[in-house]
Amino acid sequence: MVLQERVLVAMSGGVDSSVAAALLVEQGYDVVGATMKLFCHGEDVPDRPCCSLDSVNDARRVCEQLGIPHYVLNLESRFGHDVIDNFVHEYARGRTPIPCVRCNTFTKFRDFLKRADAIDAQWIATGHYARVVDGVLRRGIDENKDQTYFLWGIDRAVLSRMILPVGGLDKAQTRARAHAMGLEVIAEKPESQEICFVPDGDYARILEQRLPHDAPALAHGPIITSSGAIVGEHNGFARYTIGQRRGIPGGFASPMYVIAIRPEQRAVVIGTRDELLGNGIVAREVNWLTDAPEVGDHVCVRVRHRAPLAHAEIVRLGGGEIEIALDEPVSAITPGQSVVFYDRDRVLGGAFIEAARRQRTQLPVLAA
Amino acid sequence: MPTDPVYLDHAATTPVREEVFEAMKPFYGPRFGNPSSTHRWGREARAALDEARERVGRCLGARPDEICFTSGGTEADNLAILGAWRALKAKGRTAVVTTPIEHKAILGAVHQAGREGATERFLGMTADGVIDSASFDQLVDDEVAVCSMMWVNNEIGTIQPVPELAAKAKARGAFVHTDAVQAFGKIPIDAQKQQFDFLTISGHKFGAPKGIGALFIRRGTHIEPLMHGGTQDRGRRPGTENVAAAVGIARAAELTLAECEAHCARIRKLRDKLEAGILAKVPDAVIHGRGAERAPHIVNVSVPGTDSESLLMALDLRGIAASGGSACQSGSVTPSHVLSALAIRPDLASAAIRMSLGVLTTDHCIDRVIEVFPALVAKARQLTVAE
Repeated sequence: MVLQERVLVAMSGGVDSSVAAALLVEQGYDVVGATMKLFCHGEDVPDRPCCSLDSVNDARRVCEQLGIPHYVLNLESRFGHDVIDNFVHEYARGRTPIPCVRCNTFTKFRDFLKRADAIDAQWIATGHYARVVDGVLRRGIDENKDQTYFLWGIDRAVLSRMILPVGGLDKAQTRARAHAMGLEVIAEKPESQEICFVPDGDYARILEQRLPHDAPALAHGPIITSSGAIVGEHNGFARYTIGQRRGIPGGFASPMYVIAIRPEQRAVVIGTRDELLGNGIVAREVNWLTDAPEVGDHVCVRVRHRAPLAHAEIVRLGGGEIEIALDEPVSAITPGQSVVFYDRDRVLGGAFIEAARRQRTQLPVLAA
Repeated sequence: MPTDPVYLDHAATTPVREEVFEAMKPFYGPRFGNPSSTHRWGREARAALDEARERVGRCLGARPDEICFTSGGTEADNLAILGAWRALKAKGRTAVVTTPIEHKAILGAVHQAGREGATERFLGMTADGVIDSASFDQLVDDEVAVCSMMWVNNEIGTIQPVPELAAKAKARGAFVHTDAVQAFGKIPIDAQKQQFDFLTISGHKFGAPKGIGALFIRRGTHIEPLMHGGTQDRGRRPGTENVAAAVGIARAAELTLAECEAHCARIRKLRDKLEAGILAKVPDAVIHGRGAERAPHIVNVSVPGTDSESLLMALDLRGIAASGGSACQSGSVTPSHVLSALAIRPDLASAAIRMSLGVLTTDHCIDRVIEVFPALVAKARQLTVAE
């Protein structure tokens, strides 16, 4: 008998990871399913039972149907530390965090990977729409669903152990496969768009629960224009994000947007659509999934999930920091979000946005 | 699976014994009657139920009217704690006493009593998991309505001196309950000689099916029922009785007691071999409660530098079934409240693996665990070091 290769699949109970597991079973792997328990709402959210119980139950049902073992892995304390605490901390310092990146980096492709080691699973799989081809991360076939924006932070070495079975399908095909394989339990489950530990999309409530009562991020402060004129008051800068229009005063000649948050002044800065544009980006915690590019290299970048790709040039690189100059201005470059670098559909790497540059930084031009 | 699977989770549940299954069958067939009916079918069912009550009673040194069949251990525990608390609070008793290492059925019922006005008092424990007698003397006073102490702990197997403590608590006018779910068949139980007022047993822990348990309620002890409706079981437990399961638990209880001595000697020997085998290969493994008197069927071991979740998964994939702390609703393993209450280091508590022996455990099973467990532990530790 040929010894099958074992794969540990992260199963959320949704259609993508369920089909991922089913495809791997079909391909002859020794598949083990596991659902990560990442947080506990306890009794706070009555319609969502403790520990996302419904998701666990759906994942278990799918595994029963596929005839594979299913486990629940409690990664609550590490997720709380690496993802939720960071989420709160980022808002507290006036940034807009992106917890899914940290969850992939630390929870799924580090902590979960260790569980795979413990059961001698050479592979781990998830239901992400992305592909790993010859050790290179590539965007998923379904451009609309591509999730590489959230995957740039993983350790490059992990790529050689990752299988992303639905990355070669589009969403409709995934659902069709679910039906074809008899996974009716989950085949038509709606997409989850919100952040998993913010059940009703009300992230400010999480901040209120976790930040001190007198936290500056939740205290009143001025709404100002870029010239410094006070035009209103807000009830906590953490409730604002760059590009937002809701919750800012009216009466301006043109539509106004949040263009910056200045935590040291507790100020929310508003401005016109033009003022929202940036021509460059400074980003930190750079991580490369290929050999690192060099200053002067041209790359494509994405600054927000589903934002169109933009062309840019690397103008500074080193010490974990990167600066790029954009060929065309990009709107709402938001500190705390990610900037992800691409070469066609290859993911080169990414970084967390530190600041937008209003002016384009020019590279020293060499004499012709 | 290349080798036979090894089931080491008898404290979770046991297979229904063949003799028990046979004894129950007629009540899923021709003897299907409702014991409350006055006709022939009803009488047949009633006769079986009465007889089952007598037989379970005999196994506990109790009279038939002192046996109340329930849906299992959890219901029996709730009925005892809440039933007694609700009956006694009217008489001015204000406190409920228990240990922090009880089953969640007791802790949940005690918290409910707390919400209904009771003062919750938790007894101090020694590091080995035995009630601290000074704490007992201090907390069990004349304000106490109910004092509940589990006879054998389900996670680490330690035995509480229930007869002695029950006598003390009775002298102070408290009602005494003991959760004997893990004790039945392992510890001599005799309601005539021992002074508890309530005692819980659960059928599926000793060869009866799931869904049947019994609460011993000493004659003359008034409790408030949890459910309301019919007059079955003197109104203490309304609802049509589960006749087949009652017959099943009676048969299982008799068989268990008849074999008790030989069975306990056999699994004690296997338990000792298992512990010695693990310690020989993993000398720094910690076996919880080892300094106390323990029931023979439970081994709870923590290996520093491992975590129980990964180890349980790896064991299961090698065909060995054990368990961790108490499982949460989702099925994830959370650090055990029992080990936490005994001030076990958190890293050790989160590494705890419970192996519980029973009818399915053979010498061969133990050999296999002694071979596989240390190997998995060594691997887990390598991974920890590599971090």
